[in-house]
Order: sequence, then C-alpha cells, then structure tokens
Amino acid sequence: MQSGLIQQLGNLGLPQQDIIIATFYLVAGLTVFFALRVVISKNIFHSAIFLAMTLIGIACVYLYLNAEFLAVAQVLIYVGAIVTLFIFVIMLTANIQDRAIRQTNEQVFISAVSAAVFLFILIKVIKNNHWQLAANKGTQNLGIAQLGRSLMTTYVLPFEIISLILIAVLVGAIVIAKSDKNDTT
Amino acid sequence: MVTLSSLIVMVLVVSAVLGFISASAMFLIWWERKVSAHIQTRFGPMRVGWHGVLQPIADAIKLLCKEDIVPVGVDKWVWWLAPFFVTVPAVMAFVAIPFGKNLIVQDLNLGILYIIAITSTGIFGIFMAGWGSNNKYSLLGGMRSAAQIISYEIPLLISIITVLLFSGSLSMQKIVTAQAKYWFILNPSLFVAFFVYIISATAEVNRAPFDLPEAESELVAGFHTEYSGMKFAMFFIAEYTNMFTISAIAATLFLGGWRGPLLPGPVWFLIKTYTIIFVLMWVRWTFPRVRVDQLMGFAWKVLTPISLVNLIIAGWFILK
Repeated sequence: MQSGLIQQLGNLGLPQQDIIIATFYLVAGLTVFFALRVVISKNIFHSAIFLAMTLIGIACVYLYLNAEFLAVAQVLIYVGAIVTLFIFVIMLTANIQDRAIRQTNEQVFISAVSAAVFLFILIKVIKNNHWQLAANKGTQNLGIAQLGRSLMTTYVLPFEIISLILIAVLVGAIVIAKSDKNDTT
Repeated sequence: MVTLSSLIVMVLVVSAVLGFISASAMFLIWWERKVSAHIQTRFGPMRVGWHGVLQPIADAIKLLCKEDIVPVGVDKWVWWLAPFFVTVPAVMAFVAIPFGKNLIVQDLNLGILYIIAITSTGIFGIFMAGWGSNNKYSLLGGMRSAAQIISYEIPLLISIITVLLFSGSLSMQKIVTAQAKYWFILNPSLFVAFFVYIISATAEVNRAPFDLPEAESELVAGFHTEYSGMKFAMFFIAEYTNMFTISAIAATLFLGGWRGPLLPGPVWFLIKTYTIIFVLMWVRWTFPRVRVDQLMGFAWKVLTPISLVNLIIAGWFILK
C-alpha cells in the first residue's frame, strides 16, 4: 500500500494524476515567486522568511517525486534549524534590520553575464537529456528502512565523508570562537 | 461520484479536527486557570456557568468583539501573517496523531517525523510576531525563542530516536502496536528518554519554567505584546494546541497510546494526554522561571549528553 502524502489522495479514490497536475504548477510557481523575493526583498528579515517558504516549496516538490523522507528532512533541517539560525543571527546583528540593503554593486554586469551563461547551460542540459529513467521505471516509494540500509552499505563512503566535513566545520567554528575569546581576555 | 464522496469525507474530517482543536483549547484554558487557582488556594473563574466552565466561551466572544489595534510602525505584512504562521502548523500536526485504532486522519509512514517537522515551522510565526511588532520586548522574546528552540530540538529528537530504536517504525500506529506487550516507559532507557522528551518539549512550547520568550516580569508579554483581539486569541489557541500535541506524542510514544483495558481506545488516549497536560500545568505553577544562561547551559551540558548516552545504552540493549 502506498502511504506517502500525495499517494494517500489516490487511496481515497481521488484521481491522483489530476490532483498532481492541478496543484503542481501552483506549488512550483509559488516556490519560484518566493525564491525571487528572497533576492529582490530590500529587507533582510523578509528575505529570510521568504527563504524559509522557498525551502518549504522545494519540500513540496519532493513530495511529487515520492521522496517523502527527503521532504520531511528538508523541512526539519533547512527550515526548522538552518533558517532559524539565520533569523537568530539577523536579530542579533544590530541595525541590520531597519536599513534597506543596497541591491546591486559594481559587479552587477559580471554576475549578470555568469547567470545568463549558467541559465544557458541549464536549458541545454534539460533539453538534451531524455529523462527516460522516471518514465520507464516509475518512481519507487523507498521505505525509510531501505534508505537507512543503503546509507550504511552502498553509500557508506560518501556518508562518512560528509560527517568528516561536518566535524571539520565544527572544529573550525570552535577554533574561531576560541581565538576571539583569547584576544579579549 | 467517488471523487465527490471522498471530498465530502475530507471536509468532514477537517471540520471534526478543527472543532476538536477549538474545544480542546477552550477546555485547556479553563483548566489551566482552575489548576493555577487551586495551586494558589484561590477559586479561579466561578461566575460563568458551573465553576466557570463557560468562561472561555465568554472570553472568546469578548476577544472576537474587541477592536483590532494595529500599532504604528509595525511591519504590516509580517505582523498580520504571524498569527497564521503560528496556528497553521499547530493544526497540521493533527494529521498524524492517533486517537484510536482507526481514529487517525492519515497513518503516515513518517508519522512522528512529519509531526516534528511541521511543528518546528511554527517558530517562524513567533519570529515574525517578535520582529514585525517593531518593539524591543517583542524582539527580545523572538530572539530568546530562537535560541531556545534550536537548543532543545536536539535532545528532543534524540529522545524520540531512542523510541524509534525499539518500535522499528516511524508510523504512529506502528509505534502504538509495538507497545502491545508493555508500555515503552517501563523500559529503563526509555524511562530516561521520557523525561528528556518532556523537559525539552516543555521548552519547545515555551511554557514555564522555560517561558523566557514571554517572561511577564521582564518582557511584558514577549513576542505577542502588541497583539490584541482575535490575533491574540490565535496565539493562545496555537499555544494550547501545541501543548496538546506534545502531550499526545508523549502518550503515544511512551504510554501506549490508545491501548488500555476496558475503556475504548480514544478515551484512554485522551485520559493519558490530559494527564500529561495536567503534569505540565502543575510544573508551570510550581517552579520558578530559569535564567537565560541556565536555560542554554541545561540544554547543552545536561540534556544533550544524557540523551546521547541514553541512546547508546538503548542501542546496546537492542543488539545484546
């Protein structure tokens, strides 16, 4: 039995495909809109809130791909922890909230060119790929047990490398914080 | 026709959940006032109805009729949307709470993880209220809330993972089924996890002794200082709904959920949940508020190590 969030609608007797078509463009459109607002907003706090909403939107897109665990983890880690930390930093930083930030600097043309090149490459990649994988096999709703097992067997090396990177970042943060303390005392 | 009938079922289920949430929040507000009154040897509300049972309804009518005051200098959008950002996640969590054997909106595969993830987004409402109010007390309340929730989420999640080791599933119904032989709280390492969970959950919903985001003696009312009327009521409803949710999770994860002899499942579930809520109220009106540094120190230096060691011991128990 399917028991993902979107799949449940199918179990209820609602035509699943119609619901996906009816809601996907709305969700995707809103996600893109929020992502734009993250960059456009003059107020950094608004940007942070829009970033949280963008990440929730991306989590919704994962739901359409049958990747529930990824969706929930996305909300839990990115929205619940990382953006929370961003907002905490924004609130701690004096005077950053009231001032409207400058939207552009002298490097605006260079970045526009590189963005255009990146967009061109993305379009090329999307167009040239045939995307047969999903169409032929059908996306499988992986159980969390299976996910855990493959993390501990097939993908154990990347998994461990990521934890090594995280440890390095943690140690680095502690070192930076500590040297600061020594200067003041 | 299948579509129409299932749509009707969905609407009915949603109405039932919303009705239950409002009734439960009103009951809890009355109960909190009664418990606090009796702990302080007072009577509490007595005038409206038998022992003041209709007091929350009177309060709700009052709050609905109040003028909606918008202070000058608030960040309009952020300030207006904040109450909704607090309330919606609190309501969404009810999708995966098992009230009885078949009485659950949807038994999701990732049930417990879904509830934790959804409720963790409720914090944005508090930030938006604190920041949008353009007021130093509100801002401080929001900041404290951020620090507190980041810190206490870690022991909370680790204590839940300890339960998952024994249940072998994240689905709320399967966690209840796994407790067919004995309640999880009777297991020594889950007994520890239960206390870690209750303490960090109390901190997550900003209740005393961890109610620093709204400490009355320091911050007026913290993040909801500037709110009045129905918006204030929404913060209140969200707070009590969250309290119900954390107690329901505790009842499901540690106290066997809806399992129990004689009485039907939903009755047992509500008895267990409201008992935990009563304990939380008891704690609130008995203990003084902790200081900010004590609060953070307690999370990082006491709760997190205890829950980590407990997790390792639980793993050893299972592998043995």
